[in-house]
Amino acid sequence: MRKHISLFSTFALMLALLLSACAAPAAAPADSGSGDSAAAPTEAPAAAAASSDDVFTYWGGLIFSDAANQMLVDRVTQWGEERGVKTEVVMINQNETVQRVSAAIEAGAMPDALDVGRGFMLLLTQQDQLEPIDDLYNEIGDAVGGWLPAADEATSPDRYGGHRYGIPFSLGGNVLYRRVDVLEPAGFTEAPQTWNELYEMAKAAQNPPENYGMGFALSNVGDGNLTTTMLQSWGGRVADDEGANCTLDSQEVRDFLTWITTAYDEGLFPPGATTWDGAGDNVAYQSGNAVFIANPGSVYLYMRDEDPDLGNSTKYSALPAGPAMRIAPVDANVRVIPKSSGDMDLAKDLLKYLADPEFMKEYYYNAIYGPAAAGYQDAPIFTEGPVHVGLLDLALNGTFGAFPDVDNAAFAEYQTNFLTPRMIQRVVVDGLSVDDAVAETQQACQDIYDKYK
Amino acid sequence: MGEDLSPNPSPRPLHCGEGIRGNVLFYSSTPPLDLFMANQAATQLPAAQQREQPRMTMSQRASIMGYLMVAPVVISLLILVIYPFFFAIWISFTDRMVGSQGNFVGLANYRYLINWIDFRATVRNTIVLVVSVQSLKLVLGMGIALLLNQQIRGRQLWRSLILIPWAMPAFVAFITWKLLYAPQGGAFNYILLNLGLVDTHVDFLSTKTWAMPSVIVASFWRGFPFWVISFLAALQNVPQELYEAAAIDGASAWQRFRHVTMPSIRHVVLVVLLLSTIWTTNSFEAIWLLTQGGPSSATMTFPVLAYFGLQNLRIGEAASVSVSMLPVFAMLAFIVAKLLQEE
Amino acid sequence: MLQKLTLPQKLIFYTLLVLLAIVILFPIYYMISISLKLPKDIYRTPSLLPRNATLQNYVDLFGKMHFLINIRNSIIVAGSATIISVFISCMAAYSLVRLKYRFRDWIGRLILFTYLTPGALLFISLAVIINRLNLGNTLQGLIFVYLTFSAPLSTWLLMGYFRSIPADLEEQAMVDGATRWQALFRIVLPLATPGLIAVSVFTFTGAWNELLLALIFITSPDKQTVPVAVSYLITGDVFRWGLIMAGSVAAAIPVIVLYYLGQRFVVQGLAAGAVKG
Repeated sequence: MRKHISLFSTFALMLALLLSACAAPAAAPADSGSGDSAAAPTEAPAAAAASSDDVFTYWGGLIFSDAANQMLVDRVTQWGEERGVKTEVVMINQNETVQRVSAAIEAGAMPDALDVGRGFMLLLTQQDQLEPIDDLYNEIGDAVGGWLPAADEATSPDRYGGHRYGIPFSLGGNVLYRRVDVLEPAGFTEAPQTWNELYEMAKAAQNPPENYGMGFALSNVGDGNLTTTMLQSWGGRVADDEGANCTLDSQEVRDFLTWITTAYDEGLFPPGATTWDGAGDNVAYQSGNAVFIANPGSVYLYMRDEDPDLGNSTKYSALPAGPAMRIAPVDANVRVIPKSSGDMDLAKDLLKYLADPEFMKEYYYNAIYGPAAAGYQDAPIFTEGPVHVGLLDLALNGTFGAFPDVDNAAFAEYQTNFLTPRMIQRVVVDGLSVDDAVAETQQACQDIYDKYK
Repeated sequence: MGEDLSPNPSPRPLHCGEGIRGNVLFYSSTPPLDLFMANQAATQLPAAQQREQPRMTMSQRASIMGYLMVAPVVISLLILVIYPFFFAIWISFTDRMVGSQGNFVGLANYRYLINWIDFRATVRNTIVLVVSVQSLKLVLGMGIALLLNQQIRGRQLWRSLILIPWAMPAFVAFITWKLLYAPQGGAFNYILLNLGLVDTHVDFLSTKTWAMPSVIVASFWRGFPFWVISFLAALQNVPQELYEAAAIDGASAWQRFRHVTMPSIRHVVLVVLLLSTIWTTNSFEAIWLLTQGGPSSATMTFPVLAYFGLQNLRIGEAASVSVSMLPVFAMLAFIVAKLLQEE
Repeated sequence: MLQKLTLPQKLIFYTLLVLLAIVILFPIYYMISISLKLPKDIYRTPSLLPRNATLQNYVDLFGKMHFLINIRNSIIVAGSATIISVFISCMAAYSLVRLKYRFRDWIGRLILFTYLTPGALLFISLAVIINRLNLGNTLQGLIFVYLTFSAPLSTWLLMGYFRSIPADLEEQAMVDGATRWQALFRIVLPLATPGLIAVSVFTFTGAWNELLLALIFITSPDKQTVPVAVSYLITGDVFRWGLIMAGSVAAAIPVIVLYYLGQRFVVQGLAAGAVKG
């Protein structure tokens, strides 16, 4: 018996130790952080746990740049201090925004204001989750020198049942990166103007397995939807002008699919492109493994901070044109106020505070976005930073959102199901013929559009 | 198992093979404990008679006690599992979206699902993945357990080593495997290229040929320690005398395994199979981190498909994906319960 | 099977063991080696050895990323979940094994059945329930939610274990005047210690490693658990491999140590529990 009792007491002691281990650090003030400025994670965890009712909660979008994330946190905190409001800023990883927000809506635990992408704003307005903020939109617009057309278009009341629901804070999209140290020896000094040109250049310059020409994702992630853009620039359309019926079964789509699958079969895509996650193209380029990629700016930030050599071998340009037209989608990120927000006036005040041009100009230096308003446009970074120049160009001249398709919930679902990259995968992975893949995707697409009729 | 609730463990007859039938018929799986208990009981006997009977009958008291003691678990599970479970089944018949109640739409979600190009692939992949990972674990797990059950130096160390893959967070394990498989900066490709075994990157995760095997290997790596350690535990409970008896009867190593080891650990194998199959079928991280279900739908499984459903805020549809995997679980539980009952 | 090995047998066995060790350790080694590299070295000069090895990732992790807070949170959550779950599961298992009452078999089945429920099914409703109970975005809420997987498994394993302990002993003690509680705590539990430790180790690891529920139910950065914090090192389209691997190493060490210490009991506990389960 003694042996067992001693065993049991050891076990009990273990539990007790565990308990005390939990209790001790919880009680101690958590200032384990280094000498950074008031960083959010270090702030009194005990206080936050006590009651969340009188705390103003803001969900920001976590992006690659730590500096940009920190700026947003600091700015909201500063606002809270000035207004005497307790704030909590939560940076939500963009990869999990949808799950997070879904759970929060169902649970009735939405924050008082948050950052979302325009597509998600559309879904949220359809579920009647957001507060209309037309006046605030106009008021802030006046203060920031007027919204850029793309930002205005992205929040246009026509799309959202007659109201504006979001304050745009950035316009983003893809810029084409190219490795000049690979392309110039092969005789290509200029940026490709068409996708076909790009294909020829990639084919001539690449040198596998050291590097591959076309570092574009063909996988089931957001980056893979660049192929929808390509498809449209071939003249293909996902759906008709009413946005009600799918029109994938067209010669243009077949031509595009033939083009891209040929390029794949010729080995122009880096290995893994059909299952890359969001980081796939970044990694390929950062490893020196891709000649061309399309990226919003995170690769540029990486090279600026970690790999200047690669940065110096890189040039940037706008996305090329297809046989039919040039499509360079630009999309807005917006700040929205949920209907459940505890204090509308405070939330609106915060959005005004965050829209301050001086703050935003500094923010753009660290973030990877184009400006949303004319008043942000003269930030030095938009003339100095090579990618930011491209992003400004995109913000001014890019095509909006789903264009030329109708931007509706069905299109959004088509995109979140990654039907275009999947159609490509059906050919290059499963060996379907181009015709079969198009027919099958047309059916799957129509099934989605039918749900919204 | 819920089916076998007899309060006293009874010694189980062992189905021995011809060679050893005459020698050993019964054994108890925890002989040292039984011996020890017998001693204990003996020392406590004398004081036994002096107690008076309690006011309620023993069985009444026992029932109340029983309900009270089981209550915390049952109440927690009612709140956390049973209610959400039926709720999910209900919403799978509605067109509910995040933030709205939705209407009853009958089987519409299921009809949509069946026609979904991925759905059939998902059913197939889930079966392929679970069956092959589980067979691998069974065969190799058994082999490794037998190996570690030998008289080898540093057995404790080996056993701790075995547990490492199982002890780390699944997220960590699979993200490491993702890095191992990666064409860019991945260890496997680095080794293969540098040894000159291949002249171009091997596309472990994004060709139809390799994707599923790669996922299976990674899942195996993470999951096999549980099998090894359970089998080891069971092997230690096989009485040594049985082997000795078998050896005297001239049984070969295979015969000993077949007729002594297997019958003795059959029960553990079934239990481990059940638990591990639940874990593997429900596992989201492996596929999500390695391939996101791709390429095409070559590695799409139920949890990943349900996750995609949620991306569109269509809770009803996502629920129907999860509900449609319930028959698999029900069948599994049924089979294992039957097998256990037979004993 | 424990018999002296012949030399050729030894040779084969040890070769196999070394092979096994390589299979197990190589991924771990690679993980550590990446955690010692800076991003540029990871991408531009892949190698098996950590060239230009640096502890910078660990410095960033514990300095800039406040990883200690995450570790503390995980200890609180996994520790409390273990204590609570093992405690209530002990009672439930004892009740289901030793006491006789109506519906007992049904309750036993119900508990097993709950373990079979796919987690993806519960996700949204759990969010609602947790918020109704005012436990949203709290560690307590997470601890409670973790009972979904820990309570059924613990109860089930402990039932098997308790069944392997002869009932006569407690009956004697009760005839002797001990109450049920005393019988449970003084006689059964001490005997079941290996089982308890095994179940505790399982529960602790399960809670320590859990990602999906923690990701959804915890929003504040100062309440994130270790796996959530590591997953947050993937920001948008950027994997910070060095940091992620450093975080992974830090996340894995505590549970590996726990398993190392508890290994003997896990084997014993499983043996009795699973054999009789």
